Amino acid sequence: MEKRLTLVTAAALLAVIGLLPVLAMVTSSFYISGSFSLKAYQTLLASSQQYALLLGRGVLLSLLTSALATIVGVPLGVLIGKTDLPWRGAFAVLFTLPLLIPPYLIAVAWGTVVGKGGWISQAWPSATSDLLSAAFFGLPGCTGVLFTAFMPIVMLLTITYVGAVNPRWEEAGRLVSRWPNVLRRITLPLIAPAILFAAILVFLLAFGEVGVPTYLRYPVYPVEILTQFAAFYDFGAATAAAIPMLVITLAILTLEYRLLHNSILELKPVVPGAARSQIALGSWRFLLFGIVLGWALLTVLLPLAVLLIQSASPSAYGEALLRASDSIVRSLAFAVIGATALTLLGFCCGYLVHSRAPPLWRSVDALALFLFTLPGTVIGIGLISLWNTPMTNAVYGSPAILILGYLAQYTVLPMRITSATLERVPRSLEHAARLCGASWFMSLWYIVAPLAKRGLIAAWLISYVFCLRDLGISIVVYPPGSDTLPVRILTLMANGAPSLIAALCVILIVVTLLPLGVVSLWLRHGARQS
Amino acid sequence: MKKAFWIIPVVFVALAIALWRYYSPGGAPTVVVYVSHDQVFSEPILKDFEKETGIQVRAVYDTEETKSAGAMNRLIAEKRNPQADVYWANEPIRAEVLRQQGIAAPYISPNGAGIPETFRDPNGYWTGFAARARVLIAHRGTSPKPTSMLSYTDPQWRGKTVIANPLFGTTTTQIAALFVLSGDERGRAFMQGLRDNAVKMSPSNGDSADLVARGEFAFSLVDSDDVVNRMKQHQPVEMIYPDQGANEIGCFVVPNAVVLIAGSPHPSAGEKLIDYLLTKETERRLAFSDAAQIPLHPDVAMPPYLQPIASIKVMKVNYMEIASKLQTILPFLKNWAGF
Repeated sequence: MEKRLTLVTAAALLAVIGLLPVLAMVTSSFYISGSFSLKAYQTLLASSQQYALLLGRGVLLSLLTSALATIVGVPLGVLIGKTDLPWRGAFAVLFTLPLLIPPYLIAVAWGTVVGKGGWISQAWPSATSDLLSAAFFGLPGCTGVLFTAFMPIVMLLTITYVGAVNPRWEEAGRLVSRWPNVLRRITLPLIAPAILFAAILVFLLAFGEVGVPTYLRYPVYPVEILTQFAAFYDFGAATAAAIPMLVITLAILTLEYRLLHNSILELKPVVPGAARSQIALGSWRFLLFGIVLGWALLTVLLPLAVLLIQSASPSAYGEALLRASDSIVRSLAFAVIGATALTLLGFCCGYLVHSRAPPLWRSVDALALFLFTLPGTVIGIGLISLWNTPMTNAVYGSPAILILGYLAQYTVLPMRITSATLERVPRSLEHAARLCGASWFMSLWYIVAPLAKRGLIAAWLISYVFCLRDLGISIVVYPPGSDTLPVRILTLMANGAPSLIAALCVILIVVTLLPLGVVSLWLRHGARQS
Repeated sequence: MKKAFWIIPVVFVALAIALWRYYSPGGAPTVVVYVSHDQVFSEPILKDFEKETGIQVRAVYDTEETKSAGAMNRLIAEKRNPQADVYWANEPIRAEVLRQQGIAAPYISPNGAGIPETFRDPNGYWTGFAARARVLIAHRGTSPKPTSMLSYTDPQWRGKTVIANPLFGTTTTQIAALFVLSGDERGRAFMQGLRDNAVKMSPSNGDSADLVARGEFAFSLVDSDDVVNRMKQHQPVEMIYPDQGANEIGCFVVPNAVVLIAGSPHPSAGEKLIDYLLTKETERRLAFSDAAQIPLHPDVAMPPYLQPIASIKVMKVNYMEIASKLQTILPFLKNWAGF
């Protein structure tokens, strides 16, 4: 009874926090000055040819980004998660860094390198640098930047699942074949659902991205939504403009559901302290190390070096702290609270999806993923419509509105991580606890949570990263005087000195990595003790 | 393990309580201001207001990414339950839109007395101050130099010029002003001329200025503070006030505008902030800051790289007419921009 009540309450919370604002937005798109009107949708249909072109561009960009991220992210994830590649821990952190920075800033950093007058143009012949600059400001540049920003998602999920495959299957394969064949025919097919999910996530994130295509002059469909907001102040038209994106998103989710419906990841049960099986690279070790290092230098260290060099002065960091120390503290606090709330809600929703007990698990899963793919601006305006009333001012005028935004947009992340983690916790243990008279909460606290500890920590960390780097929602609903660091960086970018902006970006990276470092040390300490 | 898990809810609750106490209304008077003027310039002014008056300022700033319209959108979205007391707009058109939407309240500040009537709403719904001019930023290596907005359609500059997205910000306003001044037909002809002359489009004035500074384009139409900023960074650019000839249309001037919000939670604190922003001292500070804003009060000291408003041939337009024209030409501009 308590289990069903808790899970249904969690689902209801997600619906209220996430779905209601969207419904409020969609409803308002059917009214102009208080009267029912289809004008916004008629205008949309009238411009369908133009919009189809923009949608097509967006789909192309997203497909290319997703394909590249998968082609590179999966082998990288296997090398880092499954082999004895030297410095693999450092590579994991390094390749994750672009995920921590708003993609727009990565585009700006790359512009300094490959744009006209950039570093490369000073070293290479002008014809070559002109070509590079022309390619950067367009589809190739957009793809490159978004691929750099989102590839870590594929890599991290590959690392997580490749080490969790039930070793019985791999060992059986090793009896008759070598590791490359085992990986190709056993390991990767087994984790294909996770890889597909990662690819879809990257597709949807790239599809909803506005900042990078705008900066690199490659107009895509989400810019239309921004245009309706920013040029016409027409929220109804903006919401109507968002509908085709939602349709595509739903189509992708349906595809994901159909492809993964019967897939079950063959994961090994959790054994605390057990070492992961590792592939010895042998003579390939240093060659692969060189390739991965070269790739890291080119795609990660180069743009980060731009930020560091631009910020290289004590006065830049001094000014950054003077102008943004309050935002830094707030960002940390909001991200910690947001991540904790997300982990709690995500755990309940993830448990619901994993147990598949109440029939609404599919709806919860679909709703969470759907909310994740919505532009933050749409969710933000929806939150304003719903919560900006005299009665709810205590919520709207406080950081609680930000937390609600985070819960609406990011619940899918801890939910899916929890759901996958719980696949590795034998249900028999829970059943045994219940048979011994333990309540559902007690079995969660004493059995499930300890066994799922790593997954829960991963869920918290990923939620923390996304809350910290959030822009779309924060920029629309942050309480006056309470901007977060990413918002502060963007507002100061308008005529702020490049060194100041670069210093703030470096501080953002450090603040994001801080809990990752703390948790890493804590886990190592725990492993040594046990 | 058990000990570690207890830490999490304790930290969570402690943080939540700390933030709740921080955000609970205390005894100090407060004013909430939404600001479309660049934070890097406006924040020091607001901080000084805080120090001098003891009124706590809570601000929402705009970004280039939201095209300086994020604050506007919040004001419109919050119309039925306003959170802001004052809106500091970076151009009067936004203020005019707020007036039209019933979001602005009339307030005539005594400190606005010296400001020319052109730059004020006659009924006090908004008051202009500290303006910038729409100027041409040209790369130092460009020869000959452009002298007019119409240089964009000169074939010698084909493919060598850039303009900020005409759907947002001061570029939109200037194009609307051109339509008001020259008529719809000539306005459309000008925009077609841009297309025929392969003028590139950038996301913002700041990006346009950077592209010209890097030598990727010969010139662009931007705000005067964008140019001053790049000049102070020793980038190879020059500032040209366009259309200053005897028979030419003059330079479009865009003042900041301050608006009192109707139904705001702290109206008297809002009026004090408006009074402060409209002082000569505020204009002097904005002139000498990197914002490089041109004072509209007479006899305000300014740096040598700025021209006094009296010495600039200003485009003769009515901002109310521009606001109305802007609404009608936006679908055309949207089509022109490829959206």
